[in-house]
Amino acid sequence: MEEILSNPYVFPLIVTTLIVALFPLVAGYIVLLERKVLADMQVRLGPMRVGPYGFLQPLADAFKLLLKEDIIPAGADKWIFWFAPVLSTFTALTAFAVIPLSDKFFVADVNIGILFILAMSSVGVLGLILGGWSSNSKYSLLGSLRSAAQMVSYEVPLGFSLVTGLMVAGTLSMQGIVRSQLDQGVWVAFANGGLMLVPAVLFMISAIAETNRAPFDLPEAESEIVAGFHTEYSGFRFALFFLAEYASIFVISSIGVTVFWGGWLRPFPNVESLGVVFNYAFPMLVFSILGLMCLRGVIKLMLIEQKAVMAVVGGAMFLFVLLFAIPAMNELIIGLFWFLFKVFVIVYSFIWFRGTFPRFRYDQLMRVGWTYLIPISIGALIVNAFAMVSGEILEVFGY
Amino acid sequence: MKEFLKAVFWVDLAKGLWVTLRNQNPAYVCTEEYPRERPAVAERYRGAPRLNVHPETEQTLCIACNLCALACPEQLIVVGSQRNEETRRKELTHFTYDTSRCMFCGLCEDACPVDALELTQDFEMASFTREGAIWDRQMLEEGPLPTEYKF
Repeated sequence: MEEILSNPYVFPLIVTTLIVALFPLVAGYIVLLERKVLADMQVRLGPMRVGPYGFLQPLADAFKLLLKEDIIPAGADKWIFWFAPVLSTFTALTAFAVIPLSDKFFVADVNIGILFILAMSSVGVLGLILGGWSSNSKYSLLGSLRSAAQMVSYEVPLGFSLVTGLMVAGTLSMQGIVRSQLDQGVWVAFANGGLMLVPAVLFMISAIAETNRAPFDLPEAESEIVAGFHTEYSGFRFALFFLAEYASIFVISSIGVTVFWGGWLRPFPNVESLGVVFNYAFPMLVFSILGLMCLRGVIKLMLIEQKAVMAVVGGAMFLFVLLFAIPAMNELIIGLFWFLFKVFVIVYSFIWFRGTFPRFRYDQLMRVGWTYLIPISIGALIVNAFAMVSGEILEVFGY
Repeated sequence: MKEFLKAVFWVDLAKGLWVTLRNQNPAYVCTEEYPRERPAVAERYRGAPRLNVHPETEQTLCIACNLCALACPEQLIVVGSQRNEETRRKELTHFTYDTSRCMFCGLCEDACPVDALELTQDFEMASFTREGAIWDRQMLEEGPLPTEYKF
């Protein structure tokens, strides 16, 4: 037993299995969150039928997708049609390998971490393109062409803003980036006297475009090209594309969190006196609010089964409160909490932007990409480089 | 200059974001979860017909005068009656009302001298067959029985 546990491959394998097993569920709940938040923004209710307040909707959706007829269009290139969603999902899930979920939970700490994720997400685009092309449908083809063009345009500002962040961090390893922020005592987004906020915002915009989300969701613009590259997909293949899409949202949010927003660090990581507030009080407050809301649901709901589901969820929330109160346990999971909390905030703002901004026209999309984002990101790179160098020079002269 | 600064700092976008954020208040939701909650229709809404019975004796109020059938522009009401030899009164034997042809004008209701026939506020009148839309006396007296949903 001791021998097995001390093997360096065991813990990464466990984390990998957990991620691969749990991520479909997480993706399902991101979809539910999206549907609920969009419904709230549009003064609707959203899913309410399955489980209390639609809480079990993701399970019902997954079950439905599994049972659906699996159609391959007559004119489709069968093998590529089969392969495309697999490719998308595989690359999206592979990118999780280097994401530092916390200082203790991660699969691998590679010294080219961020490069690996970018490479994987670029291969993932191939899945969309192949899927659109092999469907033998004009809508799918148009969708995947748009997707390709959009990726090419927006990967440039994304890359430049990442380079700016890496310049401040000084390493490509994902854990190293977080550690350097700990050493500098400031999140990269607030480094250089706030100048780094510009690449952080640019990264956010190009990340939305990279993941084909509204307002940059031209590859799947319903009003023009039905559903874009996955028009002809149904059933489980469609579910795989969906999974890949949400995995890439999660991955790109994780990159943003790691490079710009301090990864698993709490706010003000170097101020000792705030440790109690951010390590204990804040997570306990968050989970007790969630638990109390669940209790309110238990009181308000009418059916006993729904009360039971709500009570279980509420109980889990209060269990988390207890876990965060134990110092040893707290140390173990506080990094995970902050990382996932920040990712949640970014995913929430993705949904918020989707609920707010109308879709760009194609020429507007290209103009925003090439005439604003790219020059601004290069400018931000240069300005930040000068800011860093001038800071060093001032240090040399003793200021 | 002001316009330029507005454009640079995305004031309009921020305004839009504020609108959507503000509207997330659950109190603003106006969706009605229909089969669970039923809308309160207007007081003078004319819906499913009803043949009223006496609240205590449960005897029909209808005196089989046939005025509703005469008033009906669609001629969809059929009143069947029989003379009771002892009391010398007309007694209702059957009453059919074809809701598939009804336009809910309410003329039958107005014509009724004893307020027996009435158009109520019930609106769930769907049926699986055309024959199901022709209501007999029993159905008119009981009224539609919509399913109650608890959740």
